[in-house]
Amino acid sequence: MRGAIRLSDFTWRPLGRKAPVVAGLDLAVEPGERVLLVGPSGAGKSTILHGLAGALGTTLAGELTGTAEVDGRLGLLLQNPADAIVAEHLGRDVAFGLENASVPRSEMWPRVDAALDRVGLGVYGRHHFTAALSGGEQQRLALAGVLVLEPDVLLLDEPTSMLDDATATSVRQAILDAAGDRTMVVVEHRIGPWLEHVDRVVVLSSDGEVVSDGSVASFLAGPAPAGVWMPGLPTPEPLAVPADLVRPADALGVTAEDVVADLTTRTLRGVQRTRALDGFTAVLAPGTTTALTGPSGAGKSTALAVIGGLRKPTNGRVTPDLASRRTLELATSVGWVPQNPEHGFLTLKVADEVARTAGRVGRSVDAAAVLDVFGLGGLADAHPYRLSGGEQRRLALAAALAHRPSVVLLDEPTVGQDPGTWAAVTGWVAAARDAGATVAVSTHDPDLPRDVEHRLEAGVSS
Amino acid sequence: MRSAVLRANPLAQLSIGMFSLLGSFWIDDLDVALLALGVYAVAAVLFLPGWKYPLVCLGFTSIAAVTIVYSTWRLGGHDVEEAFANGVRIVVLAWPGSVMAGYVDPTRLADYLAQSLRLPARLVAAFAAAMQRFTGFGLAWEQLDQVRRVRGVGRTRNPISNGRYAASMTFALLVQAMRGASHASIAMDARGFATAHRRTWAEPADWTRLDVMTVVLAAALGAVAPLLTVLA
Repeated sequence: MRGAIRLSDFTWRPLGRKAPVVAGLDLAVEPGERVLLVGPSGAGKSTILHGLAGALGTTLAGELTGTAEVDGRLGLLLQNPADAIVAEHLGRDVAFGLENASVPRSEMWPRVDAALDRVGLGVYGRHHFTAALSGGEQQRLALAGVLVLEPDVLLLDEPTSMLDDATATSVRQAILDAAGDRTMVVVEHRIGPWLEHVDRVVVLSSDGEVVSDGSVASFLAGPAPAGVWMPGLPTPEPLAVPADLVRPADALGVTAEDVVADLTTRTLRGVQRTRALDGFTAVLAPGTTTALTGPSGAGKSTALAVIGGLRKPTNGRVTPDLASRRTLELATSVGWVPQNPEHGFLTLKVADEVARTAGRVGRSVDAAAVLDVFGLGGLADAHPYRLSGGEQRRLALAAALAHRPSVVLLDEPTVGQDPGTWAAVTGWVAAARDAGATVAVSTHDPDLPRDVEHRLEAGVSS
Repeated sequence: MRSAVLRANPLAQLSIGMFSLLGSFWIDDLDVALLALGVYAVAAVLFLPGWKYPLVCLGFTSIAAVTIVYSTWRLGGHDVEEAFANGVRIVVLAWPGSVMAGYVDPTRLADYLAQSLRLPARLVAAFAAAMQRFTGFGLAWEQLDQVRRVRGVGRTRNPISNGRYAASMTFALLVQAMRGASHASIAMDARGFATAHRRTWAEPADWTRLDVMTVVLAAALGAVAPLLTVLA
């Protein structure tokens, strides 16, 4: 029967890493089984999905031994959804897989529209520009492109990681409806909502070995494995981060008054204006953490960029006027962690990355201590691009904030983090706040500690 | 009328460039060259939705033209008129096509390449997806620029450090492009591209009256230079 998965003696060492990410893994999934794959950040979860998709040793360079086989048609959702976009408009992007499967045109469009509806992008319609989507919306578009194919095997890498609770619930339902009795392997850090929908939980250790494999009941009855968000357990305590690592030189509050921000996607064939913020007002005081929340596409990232002077508002006022500052002046006061960590890397070594901005603004930084906080101590000499997704996000954070800025801005910092690394990220945020920094976070993580919350809905505070 | 060019199909749009290229081979004196260029300039004013982009393209093709003028003048016996005729010919050859290329939607071009011209489906689909990545480069460039600015290594007023900045941005974008490309190819293959030797197309490649008229106009514009040369 179609839908079986078999990994035997599966070992993968990416180019430039000394130790394999996954070593000698054996795993078999029966057709129709729903498996939740869990483990700490860097355990090799994405690697396994890449292996099943046949990308290791071909598209991705490294040394592969053993086998990874999938019987049937594959549907794969990658961690970074922006990479999956193949067309200018939503409709054509979703249709890509159907075209490949030689589905007749008359059948195609009803299926495309249904898939867009399923993931909640139906409101935009087929002709919306793919370039005008937010991170969470891109994730849903990529998912629509996978679900529309009705694959025999669904491999989903953090399918709801960038979505707020309400959207995540409806997207999860869409996935489960589409999965039906097909084989499904889901990688997700926040496993709670998935447990009632899966048959089996496979837990990986940080060395990429299977530490437990069994039913949901036996998983819940067993000891809590390291690096997994066990449902029912209390939220981990933010790590105590030494104040010396985060204490800013001076205090700087930021005020946004009635800010309007239009994002323009412009091609010669047309212009799409999205009003990302519409009358956003916020007072960010030193020593407080402000959370910007709301559904995906609500304008959270744009609000953060406007506050930090990375984007000039179309209308309204931000004081101080950080947007007019030159690069060194801006870096002295502001630290910003982008949503896509890879956009943030400037150097070829993890340790250099952490020291880079501090060097520019003339501050000393204890790079080794910073890396230890984020559990990256052993990777000081590694290349930033060779890290796992979760490791990269932590490095991007360390690199952006190690120079102790007065204004600390983080765009979805807890996505893809296990409890241990989550505690490090939130610990850093809390310590910066306690030391007098002005902290703002765009997030859909309800557990992230905050003092003030601005909930955005379609660019408006609600 | 000035948005008609946006509605014409990609092959009709590109036919303007193809006919200008063919027509330019008949240009051998300055009068014909200037007339042919003038006709294209009038057509640009009449039929294009904006003037900035055509002017930018004209600027770039003019750079090429200037080098041609100089080298023809230098090597061709210091004949100023012939040198300029050669220069303008290059503009007639390249400018209309370079302008029209900007108005082409890669996905729609793929539809027509595969369905009207019967080019191999896989090749065409890969080409369209690759062209789409250019849109992504614009967004990636913006974010790379934001990150550099906030980390103290952004643009400055110093031209030397700006040179370094441009080099580092270009390199970073190249790295992004290559990494993005491998992820994109994994995602595309997982959506059946790896095994799609035949594929269907979500939209038809129709030829409307507007498309036909566009090709006729393209041929007429391209015919100006040969006609003038023959009549002279």
